[in-house]
Amino acid sequence: MSIVITVTSGKGGVGKSTTLANLAVGMADEGKKVVAVDFDIGLRNLDMLLGLENRIVYNVIDVMEGKCNLSQALINDKHSKSLYFLPASQTSDKNILDKVKVKELLDTLKKEFDVILLDSPAGIEGGFEHAIAFADRALIISTPDVSSVRDADRVIGIIDAKSEKAQQGEEVVKHVVINRVKPELVERGDMLNTEDVLNILALPLIGVVPDCEKVISSTNLGEPIIRDTKAQSGEAYRRISKRILGEEVDYLDLSVKKGFFKRMFT
Amino acid sequence: MSLLTSLFGKKSSSANVARDRLKLVLAHERASNALPYMDEMKAEIMEVIKKYTQVKDIHISSQNNQNIDVLEMEIILK
Repeated sequence: MSIVITVTSGKGGVGKSTTLANLAVGMADEGKKVVAVDFDIGLRNLDMLLGLENRIVYNVIDVMEGKCNLSQALINDKHSKSLYFLPASQTSDKNILDKVKVKELLDTLKKEFDVILLDSPAGIEGGFEHAIAFADRALIISTPDVSSVRDADRVIGIIDAKSEKAQQGEEVVKHVVINRVKPELVERGDMLNTEDVLNILALPLIGVVPDCEKVISSTNLGEPIIRDTKAQSGEAYRRISKRILGEEVDYLDLSVKKGFFKRMFT
Repeated sequence: MSLLTSLFGKKSSSANVARDRLKLVLAHERASNALPYMDEMKAEIMEVIKKYTQVKDIHISSQNNQNIDVLEMEIILK
């Protein structure tokens, strides 16, 4: 059974595409056949995060318009045989996506892949609606700051309204990923903690990713951080990938080491 | 809230302020988000009324009293 997972956030710049790139690698490493589809039409970015920007010939719009075959547009990852990437087009015509064609594309992808990851554009407009319309699951990425949480809440509120699945009375499974957490700030009371964010968004958690300087260099290199076995954020993504696939994994211990007493009470 | 903070109180940290501000603003926004079909419905009702008379604006508000959800509509004529 293949599954369509949409990664979304509302606010831009919270690490949506970075998260998607890492989870795509993570789930492929877990033995699933994964395709990462960039639905951020006009603002292609997933290609660079995966380090595949030089291999693009055709894009997702070309496939939907029949200008090429799916296999011509799919790009195989450099390292993983079971990970494929379908780039966004760089057209500025936002209305180019068509619901019927999106469904057709996803149905075709479902025949070949176990996991279809859709990178939704920021915002709540057309592009987002197409990305969420046929999702089985949604991952909502939020950083622990007021604007990101607020926008995430707004997106959560409209997912069901835009989802075909929800309209047929089924449930779109939604989970929160809290990204760029700085444990020292949380401990000091200067950053919303996991509990606060989950309380406000009223959704279950699937992962907390610590803020990590290494993500910047990994982005520079086009190598998702999950491939860095020493990076804490990479480990966080690895665990999220497993959780998505149904495995129960402990959460990373992000507490600032301060000894027994402090931990007892926080 | 942790046991420590509830026992001894805590100077209001910026995260607590953020949490309270978010809760307030979202409580307000959710009320207006609760009916995602509102804008479309409003436009359609407007079209229907326009067939018969001149309409300036429509206000729709939702309330729930006990167990009944009520949509209250106010039609302002020209």
